[in-house]
Amino acid sequence: MARRALWRSGAAKDAVPRIAHLDRDRPLVEAAQREPARFEALYRRYLARVYSYAYYELGDHHAAEDATEATFVSALTNLQRFEERARPSDGEGASTFRVWLFQIARNEVAGERRRARRRPVEPIGETVVVDPLDVEATAVRRDEARAAWQAVGRLPGERRQAMVLRFVDELSTAEIAGVLGRSEGAVRVLIHRALKSVARDMGVSKRSGDRPGSES
Amino acid sequence: MSLIRRDGGEIEALITDRYLDSLLAIQPAPHLAGSPLDADGSLGAAVRAVSRRLATDLPRFHPSFRFEERLALRLAEVAASMRLPVAAGAEGAVVPIRELRPSIPDPLRAASDDDDERGDPRPLLIGGAVAASALSLAGAWLAWRRRTSPMARAIRAAHSIRQLGGGA
Repeated sequence: MARRALWRSGAAKDAVPRIAHLDRDRPLVEAAQREPARFEALYRRYLARVYSYAYYELGDHHAAEDATEATFVSALTNLQRFEERARPSDGEGASTFRVWLFQIARNEVAGERRRARRRPVEPIGETVVVDPLDVEATAVRRDEARAAWQAVGRLPGERRQAMVLRFVDELSTAEIAGVLGRSEGAVRVLIHRALKSVARDMGVSKRSGDRPGSES
Repeated sequence: MSLIRRDGGEIEALITDRYLDSLLAIQPAPHLAGSPLDADGSLGAAVRAVSRRLATDLPRFHPSFRFEERLALRLAEVAASMRLPVAAGAEGAVVPIRELRPSIPDPLRAASDDDDERGDPRPLLIGGAVAASALSLAGAWLAWRRRTSPMARAIRAAHSIRQLGGGA
């Protein structure tokens, strides 16, 4: 007569749930894990974000392309190893596919940066993409974009990465914390200080269009 | 003192974070008034202004269509190679193999006429070995039959009687 596996049910009862949130990409990730050809949907969704991150970090289209390609190939070949490991205390979005993807991108960008030190780099300010039909606005926007980028580009490493992930890739603070391997609180302080630094650099407090008296 | 300063910095950072959440959530028109945190004077004007500028002025880049499709093709190739991992010398098509291990019969199940219809789950060995074994068995049986047949015994008896009579 078969024994009843009471120990199994007991273990399941005592186990702490490790996942407290829902990764928005989970259906696509699970489909790609079953059938690697379906990774394309994730690729199309995140291509521009990963490329933008790489481009802001490296400042060179070719280097950004190389880092982007390496990121997606690495993500695809290691997709079976990806699993959400967040605990409820880690907060929402602490372990999602896109956090994992940007962790890979960060590593690839770091590697590309090491390789790119031996190559000349094109200034990013010369290649800002704007609407070619709106000539007058284009000039203004180009100047503003260039000034914003140059101010962000002068920030030290982790502050700059946090700013790009926050403003360009629109990751949440919890997600950025997962990418950078820092606590949420540390990332908040990192971004807050970066904003103050950029504001000083751009002279925003003097030139901003804020209402008089609104400055604290 | 330093603890108070640090707490104040963290609180400011938390307020900034909430502001950025609301700012990026209304990304389509962030320059318009109406951000719920704008009315709160606890956030510095400089931080607020630079946040709005960065949210609107930092563009997201897209690689060239050519690069996008080239990488998509490469990923498709990688995906295809992951789907059918081929070892050296195993380039042929995958053929499903019938389970060789016979299923264990339920000892509590009563024998019935259905048993004959199930067939023998035991696998066959290589045909040459079976044929060689069958020939060996047939040869041994014939030798045994020849040695013990009545005709052989009669011939051997007549031969021995003739030899005895001739010798007498």
